[in-house]
Amino acid sequence: MKQRVLIVDDEEQILKFLTTALEASDYEVIRAENGRQALHLIATAAPDLVVLDLGLPDIDGKEVLVKARNFSVVPIIVLSARDRESEKIQALDLGANDFVEKPFKIGELLARLRVAARLAAHETTRPKNFEADGLRVDLDRRLVMRAGQQVKLTPKEYELLAFLVLHAGRVATHHQILLHVWGQAHVHDTQYLRVFVGQLRAKIEAQPDTPRLILTEPGVGYRLWDGE
Amino acid sequence: MPDAYDDRRPDPDALLALTDNNKRGKLKVFLGAAPGVGKTFAMLQNARRLKADGVDVLVGLVETHGRSETAVLLEGLDLLPRRQVNYRGGIIEEFDLDAALARKPKLIVVDELAHTNAPDCRHPKRWQDVEELLDARIDVWTALNIQHLESLADVVSHVTGIVVRETVPDRVLAGAQDVVLVDITPGELIQRLHEGKVYLPQTARRATQNFFTPRNLTALRELALRRTADRVDDQMVDFLRQGAIEGPWETSDHLLVSVAADEHAGILVRKGGRLATRLNASWVVVHVERRGHEESDPTRLKQIDDAFSLAERLGGQTQRLSATDMVAELLRYARRENATQIVVGRSRSGWLRRLMGGSFPGAVVRQAADIAIHVVTASRDEAPPARRWPHPETKRFWPGFVAAAVAVAAAVGVGEGLTQFLTLPNLSMVFLLAVLACAARYGLWSAVAASFLSFLAYNFFFIPPIYTFTVAEPQELLALLVFLLVAVSTGTLAGRVHDQAQAVRQRAEHSESLYDFSRKLAGAAKLDDVLWAAAAHLQKTVGGSVAFLIPEDGDLQVRIAWPPDAELNEGEMSAARWAFAKNEIAGWRTNTLPNLAKQFRPLVTPRGPVGALGFEPMARGEAPTPEFERALNAILEQTALAVDRSLLIGEAVRAAALEDNEKLRTTLLASLSHDLRTPLASIAGAVSTLRQLRDKLSPAKADELLESVEEETERLTRFIANLLDMSRIESGALKVKQDYVDIADCIRAAVERGKKSFGGSSVETSVAADLPYIRGDAHLLEQVLFNLLDNAHKYGGGAGAIIHARREGEHAYISVTDEGPGIKPADLTRVFEKFYRGGRPDGRKAGTGLGLSICKGLVEAMGGKIEAQSPAVRRRGTRIVLRFPAAKIKEGLPA
Repeated sequence: MKQRVLIVDDEEQILKFLTTALEASDYEVIRAENGRQALHLIATAAPDLVVLDLGLPDIDGKEVLVKARNFSVVPIIVLSARDRESEKIQALDLGANDFVEKPFKIGELLARLRVAARLAAHETTRPKNFEADGLRVDLDRRLVMRAGQQVKLTPKEYELLAFLVLHAGRVATHHQILLHVWGQAHVHDTQYLRVFVGQLRAKIEAQPDTPRLILTEPGVGYRLWDGE
Repeated sequence: MPDAYDDRRPDPDALLALTDNNKRGKLKVFLGAAPGVGKTFAMLQNARRLKADGVDVLVGLVETHGRSETAVLLEGLDLLPRRQVNYRGGIIEEFDLDAALARKPKLIVVDELAHTNAPDCRHPKRWQDVEELLDARIDVWTALNIQHLESLADVVSHVTGIVVRETVPDRVLAGAQDVVLVDITPGELIQRLHEGKVYLPQTARRATQNFFTPRNLTALRELALRRTADRVDDQMVDFLRQGAIEGPWETSDHLLVSVAADEHAGILVRKGGRLATRLNASWVVVHVERRGHEESDPTRLKQIDDAFSLAERLGGQTQRLSATDMVAELLRYARRENATQIVVGRSRSGWLRRLMGGSFPGAVVRQAADIAIHVVTASRDEAPPARRWPHPETKRFWPGFVAAAVAVAAAVGVGEGLTQFLTLPNLSMVFLLAVLACAARYGLWSAVAASFLSFLAYNFFFIPPIYTFTVAEPQELLALLVFLLVAVSTGTLAGRVHDQAQAVRQRAEHSESLYDFSRKLAGAAKLDDVLWAAAAHLQKTVGGSVAFLIPEDGDLQVRIAWPPDAELNEGEMSAARWAFAKNEIAGWRTNTLPNLAKQFRPLVTPRGPVGALGFEPMARGEAPTPEFERALNAILEQTALAVDRSLLIGEAVRAAALEDNEKLRTTLLASLSHDLRTPLASIAGAVSTLRQLRDKLSPAKADELLESVEEETERLTRFIANLLDMSRIESGALKVKQDYVDIADCIRAAVERGKKSFGGSSVETSVAADLPYIRGDAHLLEQVLFNLLDNAHKYGGGAGAIIHARREGEHAYISVTDEGPGIKPADLTRVFEKFYRGGRPDGRKAGTGLGLSICKGLVEAMGGKIEAQSPAVRRRGTRIVLRFPAAKIKEGLPA
């Protein structure tokens, strides 16, 4: 069965090529040109994925996110400009699953869509293992192996890695990581997070200077590379 | 114990005082007890030593008085040429301050600190020259005799019998980093005098010789030694504080000197100052007025002002207080200021008050439980006894006196008339009426005069034996004396009420005029309006010309002058600059450039000086009265505040403009990033789709994507072209040709281009036959019309556009009308602003917000005008109207 993607954008040309590209990639495409229409379609047309532009003519894209999250858990990928960093973070914290920066290549968007779809399918059946680039994480046995050798992690390092594994392929914002691993009291301590990520990279990356596994999304958060 | 350690830390204020000293030059004073002790000699010897060490030493001015031993010392030192000053027909030489400032040596030697300069110099006194040198960070060495010190002047006069006219304020000596006492014994000095080694001016030789007695010299030497010792003591305390060496040093005393408005005020201030110096205490001079009986007599006001300025010269502070209970107020103030001692004068109140409630000092002593009180008596030779009656003004006195005579004569007449018809035992009431009438009309002095005249007349005309001044009956004598007493006291009381009422009236008039003035100022927002209002009002107070100077481009400029053609000469300008820069009064009757006809005062606000006022007093010879001072100060304060306010408003407006600019820039950036990124996103997306998914795309779909790439490239190109046009217009790089332009041609070209670009909707054109040529650039006009058609297409709702062109008098008129929803009236002018965008009918943002502003720029560059009208047709639509001046075609062109 084809997955149904809702594209929300007010620019005709962008709608046009997205439709063409997604249909060619075996998605069923439905389109909305403004926020109200988008909310209506999320509620009634049961899309499997949503691509949402934050700049909409009628209501703000973030508002669409908040309202949609009241009644739907559909994965939403946000389209945003590079210079609108704070907007991006807000969108992620408000419940967007991922983001793509404009202008983007179609391959990037398709990859994000795949990750989002997979993670959504795993919401019920959590992954037991993670394996990429010589790193193996066994969540059941709390085991981390690097090139066949066991890696010793502190409890917090392990929790950090486990959180990234659960979101593998998807961006996790600083706020989300800090909240889940360290708790509400530390949500603004991004500098500690940076230190911990540095330590973790030193233990699990083949070349900690040029990380391939834990990727930095500048100003937003981290993304664990999952082989895509 | 950490606290004890903390206490030993250096006192920050003491350290701060040290660093502050570095901002000024250092002053070294060679102090002597009398002329001839060798101050100049010592000074030059030291200067030579410094010169030998390579210090840049300049001798600004030294009097050798022809003594060879001093002249020898000058050899090899840099000498500053003296300034020649014409004075009373002759030429005298003075210290050249400006040359010294220009030369800017490390150290300058200037002899005789107490010297009085010739009238043309900037400062009347040399110590002021020295202050300016110090301000310019030049170190100064100078010499001073102890008799010239302000606080000691009266002591010296008292001891030596010689009046000291040239004085130096104590603070100058107190501000010196070093004081070197040059000392020889009186015997030695007298011997030097006999050997002719002491220079004395020929004329003053005999008088001065009386000065050089062992008694005088010993007294002066003691003063000099003691003053130096006090200084050393102060320095010791300072060192202890700076070094945080543990005490014991004295807890600081605070002295309060209470002065009344009388001749003793000055003496009291001097005594208080000396006491404070000896106690190493800070001190404040206080004058307490009884509330409701504020001083109005100019002489007494001046005494207080003089006492206050003397106190400031001696280094004290001043404070005016006003209260119903003067003693309580004085003590309340003393406690609040932590005064440890109070100095009061003895003869403060009259015998009556002393009988009734005790004297002022007495009351102070009784009520001041914890504060030490010094009651000081002014000795007889120091001051004349206080006058208890205010001196009447001659102008008011004579009419009052004549009125008193007339009133008493009338009373005599009435009395004579009454005795014809009635037998009255006592006619004194009639005379009392006359006294009261005089009091009510002419005040105190008239009433007193009337009392005495009545006394005489009553006696002469009505008390037997009549027509003589003798009194027969003893009881009549008693009645007469009682009458005199009653007349004088009622007259005095009534007269005082009258005088006070008059003073109140004057104050009310003054306040009213000030109120009037401040209302005028409040109404003026612009700087020039404020200054004109102030100048007009000031002119009434001052009498002479008035000028306001405000800094512009770093220098003071005359902003407003009254009369308007008044100009300032160079001297006046430098006085104005001085007043502004130093925040001091300069010019006429001041210490700076006193020979000018004008006086200059800074306009001071809490933020610092904002300008200066220059005025020429009506009567140059007369000192300004305290009333004048007060009126002037009140006006100046008000003006300064108003000027400050208007400057602040100006700044606020500029800040708001800046903020608007900032907002515009933000909008511009957001708009740019959106307008550039959207087509790029479409292009990048379409191209990457083509590359990655080519196999899965039908040829039709692939073609569609390529088409969209083309369209978006076109859009981007247009946007960038618009941006470039805009920046060309804004930077002034736009070159407009001045050809003859046929509007009809341009319209045709624009319509053609429009059809190619967005096709579809129809354009209706109607061009009048008599349409004139205009001067300009056909290409640019076509661009304008194309932009307008583009807008009509975008916002017109697909109904098409109408272009209309005709002649309107000396102008060509072109309009482009659409039938879209139109523009809100509020936005009619804003549509021409950069990056302003109207909404499209479907609620989307549209366009770049540049089209119309580019049109405006181009039209105006061609000398035309552009405006938007809406609604245009049947309550809908927008009409953009262009007007260009019709070109004058030269006659005689070949047909």
